[in-house]
Parts: sequence; C-alpha cells; structure tokens
Amino acid sequence: MIADRVILVFILVLAAVYFYATAQVPSLEIGDPLGPKAFPRLLGIALLVTGAMLFGEIVRGRRDKAGPAEKAAPGEHGHLPMIAAVVAFTAVYLAVFEWLGYVLATAPYLLGLTAYFHRGKWVPNILISVLFSVLSYLLFTKVLDVSLARGMLPF
Amino acid sequence: MESLPHIINGFSIALQPINLWYTFVGVFLGTIIGILPGIGPSATIALLIPITFGMDATPALIMMAGVFYGAKYGGSTTSILIRTPGEASSVMTSIDGYEMARKGRAGAALAVAAIGSFIAGTIGVIGLTVFALPLTAMALKFGPAEYFMLMLFAMTAVASLSGKSPAKGMLSTILGLMLATIGIDLQSGQPRYTMGIPEFQDGVGFIVVIVGLFALAEVFRGMEGLFQGTAPEQIRISGKLWLTREEWRRAVAPIWRGSLIGFVIGVLPGAGGTIASIMSYTTEKRLSKNPDEFGKGAIEGVAGPESANNSDTAGAMVPLLTLGIPGGGATAVMLGAFIMYGIQPGPLLFQNRPDLVWGLIDSMYIGNVMLLILNLPLIGLFVRLLYIPSGILYPLIVAISVIGIYAGNGSMLDLYVLLFFGVVGYVFDKVDIPVAPLVLSLVLGGMMEQSFRQAMTISGGSTAIFVGSGITVTLLVMSVISIALPFVLPRLKALARSEDAN
Repeated sequence: MIADRVILVFILVLAAVYFYATAQVPSLEIGDPLGPKAFPRLLGIALLVTGAMLFGEIVRGRRDKAGPAEKAAPGEHGHLPMIAAVVAFTAVYLAVFEWLGYVLATAPYLLGLTAYFHRGKWVPNILISVLFSVLSYLLFTKVLDVSLARGMLPF
Repeated sequence: MESLPHIINGFSIALQPINLWYTFVGVFLGTIIGILPGIGPSATIALLIPITFGMDATPALIMMAGVFYGAKYGGSTTSILIRTPGEASSVMTSIDGYEMARKGRAGAALAVAAIGSFIAGTIGVIGLTVFALPLTAMALKFGPAEYFMLMLFAMTAVASLSGKSPAKGMLSTILGLMLATIGIDLQSGQPRYTMGIPEFQDGVGFIVVIVGLFALAEVFRGMEGLFQGTAPEQIRISGKLWLTREEWRRAVAPIWRGSLIGFVIGVLPGAGGTIASIMSYTTEKRLSKNPDEFGKGAIEGVAGPESANNSDTAGAMVPLLTLGIPGGGATAVMLGAFIMYGIQPGPLLFQNRPDLVWGLIDSMYIGNVMLLILNLPLIGLFVRLLYIPSGILYPLIVAISVIGIYAGNGSMLDLYVLLFFGVVGYVFDKVDIPVAPLVLSLVLGGMMEQSFRQAMTISGGSTAIFVGSGITVTLLVMSVISIALPFVLPRLKALARSEDAN
C-alpha cells in the first residue's frame, strides 16, 4: 500500500527530527546519572525499530499478494474535499472564537454545519444552533461557574 | 475475608445521597453516549475532567466510572435496533441482535442484552472485590524496575492487539511516549521539545489529545458516512421486553460463560471488550448444537458477547485500581482523571484512601442495578435518542468538545491542538493506525520515564536491574510474547491447518 510507504518515510523523518531535538536539550547531568536525554534516545531507537518492523510488513505484504493488484474503488476519495472544508471551517471558527465570543462564534458555526449536513430544514437548524449556543453558555457561565469566552457580548 | 469490613464501609460511602446521585448521572450519561454515535466513553470521561474540576474526588470518579461501564449497556441498543454499534465492543451483538429484531424479537434481544449485562457487570464487580486486596499485596513488592516492566508489558500488549498491524500499533505507542516527553523534565527542570511555545512547558494536555482523537475524529468519520449517504434502517421495538421460557433457558449458560471470559480478558492488558465479545461469540458458536443459527438471530449470540463486554469493564478496573496501571484506552483516561485529582491509584491508595476505593467499587454494584432499570423499563425513552438526526448531532459534538476543552484552561492553543488531533485521529483511522496505544502511552509516559530513571539510579546505571527479579523477568517474557504473538500465531494456524489437511 502507498499509505504504508508514506508512514515509513514519516517514521524516518520523525526519528531524525526527534534525535536532533534531543541533542538540543541542555543537560547538566548532576545528581542524575541519566539526565533528560536518555529516555528520549531510547524512544528514538524504538521508533527506528518500529520502522524496520513496518518495512518487514510491507515486504511480506507485497510477497503475499503478488498476484492481483489492489483494486481502488473509483470516487473513493470524493469525501476528502468535504472533510478538508469542515476542518477549515472549524479552524475559522476557532480563529474568531475569542474575538466574537462563544455564543456569537458557535451559533453561526453550528448553523453552517447543520445547513450542509441536515439540509433544507432551516427552522430546526436555526432553532438548535441558537438555543444550544445560548443555553450551553448560560449553563456553563451561570450554573457551573466555568468561564467561556465572552467576546463582544456584554454579559 | 479481610475485605469484608472494607466492603461494608464502601457501601456507607456509595449510599450517601451525593454519591448515589453522581452514580446515577454517570450511568445515565453512559447510556446516552453508548447509544449516540460520535462520542464514546473515553472522550466523555476526558470532557468531564475539566467540567468537574473543584468537585470532591469520590463523587467525580464514581461518575466517570459510571460513564465507562454504562456506555456498554447503551452500545447494545443501537447494535440491535439499527445494526450500528454505538461502541466498537458491541459489534458482535449487532450480528444476531439485529437479526432477532428483524424477526420481531427486538424486545427479547434488548431484554437479554440488559439482563446479561447486569449479571455480567455484577459478577465482574464481585471479581474486582475479591481480587483487589490480594493483588495490592503483590503490588506492594513492586519497585521502579517492576513498574517499568509492567508498563512495558501493558503497552506492548495494547500495541500488538489493538490493530491489524503490530508495527503500526508500536508506532502509535511510541508517538504517545514521545508526546509525553514534551514539557519540562521533572527531574532536571529542563524544557524539552516545546518548540519555543511557552504553554507546552506544562506538556501537551492528554485531555485535549483524547477528545481530539476520540470525539472529533469520530465526528469527521461520521460526516463522511453522511456524505456518502449510508444511513441504516431503524427497527422499532416489537414484542414484549421479556424472554420466553425457552429463550431464557438458552441464554443462561452463555451469560455465565461470557461473564467469565469478559472478566479474565478485562484484567489482562491489551485485549479489552471487543476481543472479549468476539471470544465469547466464537465460544458460543462452537458449543452450540446448531451453529448454523448464528448470524440468523441466535439468542446465545447476543447473551454471550454482551455479557463478556460488560464484565470486561469491571475486569479492566482491577489493574487500574490495584496496580495503578491501565490496560487500555478508556482505563488510561480514567487514570488521567485520578491523577488530575491528585490521586495515584495503586496499592497505596487502598491503604490511604480506602473510603474512595471501596466507595467507588461498591458504587459499581449500585450503578449496575440502576442501569438494569434504565435499560429495561425505560429503554423506550432512550431509543428516542436515535431519532436525533446525525447531521445535527455531529456539529453539536464538536461544540461540546470545544466547550469542554476551553473550560479547562481557557487556552486557544488547546483548541488548535484539539483540532490537530481530530485530523490526526481521522488520518490514523484511514491508514489503520490504532489510537488506543497512543492514549495509553501518553498517559503512562511520564510515569514510565520516572520509574526508568529511578530504577537506573538504584542500580547505579546498570540495566541489569530490569532482569533482576522474578517479577521483572516474567514481565519481560510476557512483553516479548505479546510482540511476537501476531507474527507467530498466523504461522501456527497455517501449520495446524496443513496438518488437518493431511
């Protein structure tokens, strides 16, 4: 599988970065024979061993099904742009979260998502988005005494 | 019975009105999230930690435990009625449970699941009660080297059992350990891997990682399902919520066997409810006089796995409470909750806070009775949760996750880390990397490094201490076996098959 090879490359890159970052940790090694670097070094080595294990699995996997190639269903990745859009939309929501405040950021965020995933049912979507945002805000700030971002709201 | 006075004392704690109330809240929440897709016990417990902060530890932990075992009850409902398990461990229940529902025996399937869960849950807690003190006596002999090896064993077992590929399980484990090294090193005071971000000096919050991996990633997967339009058909409850005498007769033995299997699997690290229920299902199929009926609505196929999957939760509490070492993802989150309250589970806890430990254990007896009531007479109410459209539910789960995480520290960075791990969890699922090992090793990582360094200090820098006692050697051998098992097992099976053929 392509994915497994990408993971293998990721493992090697991560191991290199991690070893480098470990070398950057200053250590005085007084009264502590191992210091803060020993355990991370072990982890780096274990990560390389894992890479070797994965390499073994890839080789074995290729030998086992040398015959028919894996069939890739067409349109299998059609959902990826959708997920990417949801993630981007969530990132925007977080970016304005403290500026607008919890209620003013969450209500449009929920409305946007429900408008797409619960399509055409505007009345329940608007009701739920607004009611959930307001009620959860009141529950947390007034009842549970946990502060949420107030933002532009005066209360 | 040296535990008897403790058990009685524990009931005096568990029966206090406040603790009864939080037991109820816990099992009620557990039932709800067991039924709802998109959010499971691990994420719920993680979200409860910041919200309950400032509460007394005993009721808070009683509630979180209630969520943990309560979710198993709720999980069976969706398996039976819409063939979509609310929790992974209910997958086996969905096979025969859904078939029973299609034949008009939904009521019987739900009843046997609830009764089996109750019997198994109670047997599991009895097992926990009986084994707790002897195990703590053993754990008191553990030094840092023993603890290090025990954690190593728990991690290797989870790594090799929780996914299709042992290498990917190991990768997940090591990523968790590496994440755990971020922050100020407790012994030397040096900041490590903080990438220049001051907030990372306290480490990456495990609550944030867990909610990202378990709730957000699950929401992304669910949205993908909505996008592809795979909505299952729901069967309405039909027939009385009770068993005929014949059904009852067939269900009794599977319930007992399932309870036993589940408890043993639960105590062992790595396997967990999913494997317990699969083992129970295959056992029942093998023992059955008409194995052909399995998959077509055999009541044994509901009774056994559902029982196994419930006694498993009580079994999983055994190593968590007595050794302080969890054997899987959800109990790792429980350990995280204990630590947030400044409580270290393990043998000393039984000496220092017997009220808390036994109050918690005894609350599980009471919680199981509550769950039986919630899941039999009141099941009709919970089933209405299934009418909540997923298109509304998933966005709400994101908002709830954001509230829970922001309420913890009021940190925007936490929210971005949450989103990051939501994406990581989604990608991991696509490429078959299990997330449970990462969660376990993230929670245990700090303790593991400390015990490693303490052991090395004791031995004056010699690694021989890790093979210095019978306990460490045994744990080392078990760790090696658990890594080797996925490689050896298929070969042994192939060998057995070829001998059969001859």
